[in-house]
Amino acid sequence: MSGTSTPKSAGQSLPPPPAAPVTLRINGQDHHLELAPWTSLLDALREYAGLTGTKKGCDHGQCGACTVLVDGKRINSCLTLAVLQEGADITTIEGLGQEGNLHPLQQAFIDHDAFQCGYCTPGQICSAQGLINEGKAHTEDEIRELMSGNICRCGAYVGILNAVKEVVDKKSIALRS
Amino acid sequence: MHNLDAAGHVRGESQYLDDIPVQRGTLHAAVYGSPLAHGKLLSLNLEAARRAPGVVRILTAQDIPGENQIGGIVPDEELLAGSHVHFQGMPVALVLAETEPQARAAVKLITADIEPLPIITDPREAQAKGELIVPPRTFRLGDPAAAWAECAHIIEGTAENGGQEHLYIETQGAYAYPTDGGGVRVHSSTQGPTAVQRHTARVLGTGMHKVEIDVTRLGGGFGGKEDQATTWGALAALGAFVTKKPVKLVLGRHDDLRMTGKRHPYTSDFKLGLSADLKLLAYEVTFYQNAGAAADLSPAVLERTLFHACNTYFIPNVRATAYSCRTHLPPNTAFRGFGGPQGMFVIESAIAKAADELGVLAWEIQRRNLLQDGQVFPYGQRVEDCNAELSWQAADQKFELKKWQAEVDAFNQQSPVRKRGLAVMPICFGISFTKTAMNQARALVHIYTDGSVGVSTGAVEMGQGVNTKMIQVAARTLGISPKRVRLETTNTTRVANTSPSAASATADLNGKAVEMACRELRTRLLRHAAEDLKMNYEGLEIQDEQVLAAGKPAETNWEKLVSTAYWKRVNLSENAHYATPDLWFDQTQEKGHPFAYHVYGTALVQATVDAMRGTYDVDAVRLVHDFGQSFTPGIDRGQIEGGLVQGLGWMTMEELIYNQDGRLLSNALSTYKVPDLYSVPKVLDVEFLETPGHPNAILRAKAVGEPPLMYGLGAYFAIRNAVRAFRPDVRPEFSAPFTPEKVLLNLYAARESAAAPAASQASGAEASVRN
Ligand code: FES
Ligand code: FES
Repeated sequence: MSGTSTPKSAGQSLPPPPAAPVTLRINGQDHHLELAPWTSLLDALREYAGLTGTKKGCDHGQCGACTVLVDGKRINSCLTLAVLQEGADITTIEGLGQEGNLHPLQQAFIDHDAFQCGYCTPGQICSAQGLINEGKAHTEDEIRELMSGNICRCGAYVGILNAVKEVVDKKSIALRS
Repeated sequence: MHNLDAAGHVRGESQYLDDIPVQRGTLHAAVYGSPLAHGKLLSLNLEAARRAPGVVRILTAQDIPGENQIGGIVPDEELLAGSHVHFQGMPVALVLAETEPQARAAVKLITADIEPLPIITDPREAQAKGELIVPPRTFRLGDPAAAWAECAHIIEGTAENGGQEHLYIETQGAYAYPTDGGGVRVHSSTQGPTAVQRHTARVLGTGMHKVEIDVTRLGGGFGGKEDQATTWGALAALGAFVTKKPVKLVLGRHDDLRMTGKRHPYTSDFKLGLSADLKLLAYEVTFYQNAGAAADLSPAVLERTLFHACNTYFIPNVRATAYSCRTHLPPNTAFRGFGGPQGMFVIESAIAKAADELGVLAWEIQRRNLLQDGQVFPYGQRVEDCNAELSWQAADQKFELKKWQAEVDAFNQQSPVRKRGLAVMPICFGISFTKTAMNQARALVHIYTDGSVGVSTGAVEMGQGVNTKMIQVAARTLGISPKRVRLETTNTTRVANTSPSAASATADLNGKAVEMACRELRTRLLRHAAEDLKMNYEGLEIQDEQVLAAGKPAETNWEKLVSTAYWKRVNLSENAHYATPDLWFDQTQEKGHPFAYHVYGTALVQATVDAMRGTYDVDAVRLVHDFGQSFTPGIDRGQIEGGLVQGLGWMTMEELIYNQDGRLLSNALSTYKVPDLYSVPKVLDVEFLETPGHPNAILRAKAVGEPPLMYGLGAYFAIRNAVRAFRPDVRPEFSAPFTPEKVLLNLYAARESAAAPAASQASGAEASVRN
C-alpha cells in the first residue's frame, strides 16, 4: 500500500499582487518601503526597515516577543499588516530611550536582572510601556495578569515583575504629587 | 555585577542569528519534513516546487557530497531521509529560494510517495520488540535481592513523566557562507559548535578545518540546541557548499516544534523497601526511556538517569536498569537536568507512595535518609563535602517546616473546598559531563598593546550569563577592570574541539581555562616588570590596574606594563587547556568517580487546589541552595528562579501530546502552555547556603544551571498532597504533568468499597512515625 501525503496543489493560482510603496512612521522617522500587501508589521520592521530589535518568537501572536507600540498601544506586530499601520505612530525598542539616556523601564530591567538570554526583553519592555499607558495596572496582581502575554522561557519573571512594578509605582507617585 | 549584555538586551541591540545583516545574493531555505512517522520513501515529487516563483534549487539526500550521517553517539541519523522516514517532520528535502516566503510556499508543493510501516510511540512496546538504541545498563549497589527479606515494608508501583518542549523563544537556525578555498563559515544557533563542525564536515566530505562555526549568543537553548542544532547548521552549510551562495535557514515556530526532539518521556517501574523506622533499605527500578527515532544524546541522558536514580538519599541496596527505546517520534534530546529529573521523579514517587501506604508524611521518610559523608553512591563515588543534611536543616529552620505543615493541616481542617498541600524537595546533582573525556576546555587570551583584552573560549552564551562570568574571571585574575575585557564569539577557528555548553559545567571548565591563561600572562608581565624596574619578582602583584610591590604602588600601571612588555617582545597571548582532575568511570563495572562535585539544596513547595474545579496555584516555593561562593549572585539567583519555573512547568502545565501516528498535537503555544508571569509562585524565596564551594568549581562558585529545575518536582507532590487532603481515599497515580484535568479526575474518582492496600507488607510492623 502506498499513501500520498500532501495534496497535489497546482501552481496555476493567480499571480501575487505586486509590492507597493508604504510609508511607516517608526520612532518619529518616516520609512518609505516597498512591501507586498501581506507583509506583517513585524517583517516590515525587521526585514525592510532594518530594525531587528523587535523579535520573532512564534509569528502567531502567542509569545509577545514582537510587541511594539502603535499610537501608544501595545500590539503583537506579527498579527498586523504593515499597510494597516500607515499614518500611525510606531514605537519599537530602538525608539525607547537612547544610549546614555535609557528609558526608565530599560534601566529598571537592568537593575532587576529582568532577563537571561534577552530574546523576550524588547517585547517585555514595549509591553510594559503599553501597560503603563493603559493606566490599568497598579498592583502586582494586575501586572501579573496584564503582562502574561509576554512569555519568558528563561523564566526571568521575578525580575520582570519587580522592574515593571518599580516603574509603575514611580509613575503613580508622580501622578499623585 | 549585572549581566554584561544588559545594555544591549534592553535596547534591542544584542545580535542573534536572525539579526545578522543579510549578505547580497543570500538564498533562503525551508525544509520539507516527512508527513508520516515511519515508512519507505518511494519517490519524491519536486516538479511543482521547482517551478514555483523564486526557487533556485531543491536538495535531497542524493545531493550530499559526503556521508549522509549526523549521529553523534550512534551513527543512526540521516541528515536528509534516504530510503526511509523515521518520524513525522524528518527532513527530506531542502528548498532554496530567493526569499523566505518563497521557500516556504514551495515546500507546500512537494509531495512524497511513502509506503507506510508500523509506528511505535510507546517505549515499553519498543523494548518488548527489541527496539533499543543501545544495550540496557544496570547500576548496582549491595544486594537488593537479599535485602527484601529485611524490609518491614515493600512498596511497588509505576511512575510516568511526559516530555518537555524547550521552547527557546529564538527558534533554531543557521546562516552559512561559502568561503575562500572551498570551505564554509556557519553562524549557528548551537550550544555545541564543534558538533555542528564535525557533522557538517562529514556531510560535505571535507575536513573539519574547512568548516568554521561561529556563535554569538542564543535566545535560549536549555539543551534543545545541543545536538538538535546540528541538522540546521549542516543543512545551511550543504546549501552554501552546493550553490556557492550564502544560505540562511531559520525555522518557523511550527516547524521547530514538530521537527525537533524534546525532553524524554519515561515510564518506570519501582520497588522500594523500608525498615520499620523508615530507613530506605532496597530499591529496584527499571526505566523505559522514549528515545525517539535516533540516538541523538539519549544514551548519555539514560546514563544520567541512573546516576540520579536515588536523588539525595542513601540506599544501601540498589539495582537500577535503564532501556533506551527506539520509537517513531523526533529524536529526544538534552533538556536541563538531562535525565536526572526523570530518575528523581521515580524515587520521589516511590517515597510518596510509601508515605501513603504507611500513613506518614513523605518528608519524614525523606529526612531520615539524606546522604552523609562517607557513604557511597550506587556508581561507586564516595559522598564527600555533602550538604544534604545542611541544606535540609537550613530550610527546616528558615521556613519552619513543622509550623508550616501545621498551618497547612489547620487550613485544610476549616476549608472544605480549597485544599493545600506541602512538599519538600531536596536535591543532589552531580557536576561534570558523565563522559569523562568531555571534561576539558580551552581558552585563548590576547592582551592588545593598549591594555585591552580579548578572551575566546568554547562556552556559548545562551542566557546563563557565562560571558559575564568569563570576563569576571579574566579581570580578577589579571587585576584589571572588567571594562577592558571583551568576550569574543565562540568560534571553532579560535578554540577547537570544544565540548558543548551543557552539563552545568560550562563556566567551570572554560572559566578554569581562562584563569590558567590569565595567570600565565600575569606571571609573564610581572617577570617583565621585575626586570624592567629592577624589582624583586616576589611580592609583585596587579590590583585595580596598578602594579604593587610588597603592597605599595610601583612605578608602573597596567597600560604602561603592557606597552613596555610589547617593546621587550614579551608574548602577550596565551592559550590554556584545562581538564577536570581525578575523573574516571569504568562502564564495564558501572563504577567510578564521574563527578567533580555535587550540588545540594532543599525546597519547600506549597500548592492550593480548588476541589470544585481541579485548578490549582503553586503558592510558594522557598528554598535553600548550595551556591558555594557565588561571584555573580544576580545571575546565579536568576538561574535558580528560571530553572525552578521550567521544572514547575514540566510538572504542571506542559503537556506534550503525540497521537498514535506519531503526530505532535500540542504543536503551538496555544496548545502547549508554558509558565507565564501569572503562573509563577507569588512567594519565591531563594536563600544562599554559605558553603566553601569546591576547588573544581570556578572561583569556588558551584555550577548552577541544571540543579534548580528539580525543585520543580516538589510542585507535583504538593498538588498531590492537596488532592489527598480532599480525598484521603484516593492514591493518585504517578503521572506527570499533574494537569488540572488529571487533578479533577482524581478528586472525583469512583469511591472504592474498601481501601485496597497496595503495599505488600513483608512484616506486620505498624508504622506510625511522627515526631
Ligand atoms: S512573534 Fe508575535 S507574538 Fe510571537
Ligand atoms: S530572557 Fe530568555 S526568553 Fe526571556
